[in-house]
Amino acid sequence: MAEHKRKKTFGSLQPDIEDILSWNELPGDAFEAATTEERENFIQDRKSVSYWADAWRRLRKNTVAMVALCIVVIIALFAFIGPMVVPYTYKQQVRGSESLHPWHYSLEDQKRISDYLEEHNGAGKLTPDEAVEKARAEAAAAGKTLSRVEEAKIRAQANVSQGQTAEEVTQADAVKALGIQSKPFGYSMQELQRKAAGEDVFPHVFGTDEQGRDIMVRVMVGARVSIIVGVCAALLVLVIGALYGSISGYCGGMVDTVMQRIVELIYSIPEMLIILLLSATLKPALEQFQNSGNGPLQNLVTILGPNIIAMFIAFGLLYWVTMSRIIRGQILQLKQQEYVTAARALGAKGGRIIKRHLLPNCVGQIVTTTFLQIPSAIFLESFLSFVGVGVSAPLTSLGSMCSEALSGLTTYPYRLFIPAAILSLLILCLNLFGDGLRDALDPRLKK
Amino acid sequence: MAKYTAKRVVMALLTLLVVACITFFLMNAIPGNPWLSEKTPSQATIDALNAKYGLDQPLIVQLGKYLGNLLQGDFGVSIKMQKNRPVLDIILEMFPVSAKVGIVAICWAVVVGVPLGCLAAYKRGTWVDSLLRVVCTIGISMPGFVVATILLHTLCGGIEGLKIFPTIFDGTLKSYVLPCAALGFYPMCYLSRQTRTAMLDSINQEYIKTARAKGLKNKKIIFKHALRNALIPVITYLGPQIAFTLCGGLVVEKVFSIPGLGRYFIQSIQNRDYPVIMGTTIFLAAFIIVMNLLVDLAYKLVDPRINLSKGGN
Repeated sequence: MAEHKRKKTFGSLQPDIEDILSWNELPGDAFEAATTEERENFIQDRKSVSYWADAWRRLRKNTVAMVALCIVVIIALFAFIGPMVVPYTYKQQVRGSESLHPWHYSLEDQKRISDYLEEHNGAGKLTPDEAVEKARAEAAAAGKTLSRVEEAKIRAQANVSQGQTAEEVTQADAVKALGIQSKPFGYSMQELQRKAAGEDVFPHVFGTDEQGRDIMVRVMVGARVSIIVGVCAALLVLVIGALYGSISGYCGGMVDTVMQRIVELIYSIPEMLIILLLSATLKPALEQFQNSGNGPLQNLVTILGPNIIAMFIAFGLLYWVTMSRIIRGQILQLKQQEYVTAARALGAKGGRIIKRHLLPNCVGQIVTTTFLQIPSAIFLESFLSFVGVGVSAPLTSLGSMCSEALSGLTTYPYRLFIPAAILSLLILCLNLFGDGLRDALDPRLKK
Repeated sequence: MAKYTAKRVVMALLTLLVVACITFFLMNAIPGNPWLSEKTPSQATIDALNAKYGLDQPLIVQLGKYLGNLLQGDFGVSIKMQKNRPVLDIILEMFPVSAKVGIVAICWAVVVGVPLGCLAAYKRGTWVDSLLRVVCTIGISMPGFVVATILLHTLCGGIEGLKIFPTIFDGTLKSYVLPCAALGFYPMCYLSRQTRTAMLDSINQEYIKTARAKGLKNKKIIFKHALRNALIPVITYLGPQIAFTLCGGLVVEKVFSIPGLGRYFIQSIQNRDYPVIMGTTIFLAAFIIVMNLLVDLAYKLVDPRINLSKGGN
């Protein structure tokens, strides 16, 4: 340490400034570079946890939300990868495999069943034509010919005896009597024969509908349509709602009042009625537009299908209101903060302040609301498709599949219950995950 | 209060006007006209029909005339589906069927949903709470047609020996049971969730602590102090729920083939029967808007803490 002149005079109340100043003079070796090990330890001790990492940590602890996420991912894989794996397409009508159940009997069992049926029903029960043929043969043997009246009588008798199905043994009875176990997945006769010949035949896991279309592929495509509609509608709502809400909140005053009156108006419009009308209106209008030329916009409409676009527009026009209200509320709080004043003092324009300072600070709310829009959009899509103004043929969605299956409910209940189950599961898991996301992103809301 | 009520009534009327205008322009934007059927009528016939029903005038004139007639209670006549029959007549025939199903559905949803929500809040953290939460989350995730078809399939003969209710809607008491059950399921689950949240909120309030400090019994605290206050936010959900039940009725009407107004509305859109579309939309919209208005006003009446001058925000 350097030598100092002693300035201390006896009795002086002045502090020895020189001495105090000298405290700042540190020796050259007072600091030394930290070793790499020390440095790493320090970084690990004070590792900064980002907003998203923190949220993810909280989310991971929420078992329900994680299970829901897994199921959503599985359904999404099923919907997007599935159609590539299955060799059938959603509008391909497989000849000879119409109305297959999602189970089948092996070839030997089918033979046994038909033998059994022959045994119990075959004798005595003839079709009208067979009965007439038989009678003719008998008459010819006796050297007589049958008059038309007699033929008609025989025919009628055969008809009556055929109509008495109550005594007839059905396939179900035969299966029960023979104790045959059905095997999973649907195969038609031809497919079973081809399979027996050593060919690789892809089964109809959920059976086929009356036009021979594979139900599993249709469910996959339907789920894909539902997910796409849900995600796109949510993004649309996000963009419109965020823009409207932030402008309304940031500008305040007269602008805010007018914009909020409009929001209130749209809020009280019964949206279901208008959406029904809108989809009915827009669908033919878009179809007309689609056929009007060959520009890039027309191609876009062709790719997505006019029904889906009509639904997007309906959603975009009416459902952004909630989002805009939430964002406006957030912005109203945030714009009083010092950093906004600082940004304004630095000369930032309104657009920049909203984009760079305000919106990033309410990202948690935005993400949660957007995410919870997805299940509600899927809900609405299925409702519209079920009623008959949503996605329509040849494209399919889970809602329209349910609607189609309604007429054959008693015979083929699974045609309705499979898409319905997947739809409900999808909405349920999205809701559960959305709730988890809300808890994770905004711990204050946690109850 | 009077100022607030007046403001809300004006707002409601304005909404109705907007709905009428939107509907009018939307339905006129639908390509095609009401006269299309299996055989295309000649242009002269179309012109004559258009002239008869005033469809040849400019849209603005048509709209003005329609609104003028509407103010006098004239909804016009059907031009296609039930030719020349007044629309109001049709509505008054169909609406009671829809309304009966809807009212019963909402009633059972409230009567069952609110107590279940209380029960869940009361038994918070136990298996009862978990079970109810699972059921209610599933309930709000199942579209109406899924619930309706499951009921239709299981209880109308889909399962052997279980044919309790008739498959065809014939207006008897028994045939109302399943549609009402299906329609009320979603609001029931929704209300029960909301009640639970509201109950938990109010249980944590200071006045509950005061009540406990006074030495009141737990049951009295829950039902007299907590529930009464928890019900206030629940009331606000009733307005949108009534609207939802009316519109969700479309699906139930389709599944159970009920001759209700919702089904008729969709048919009228498909048939381009302009006066019926307008009439049904305005009628349903007015009903929903009035319901929302009443619920909102009741809300302000019930809870004196709400500052009326601030309005609906």
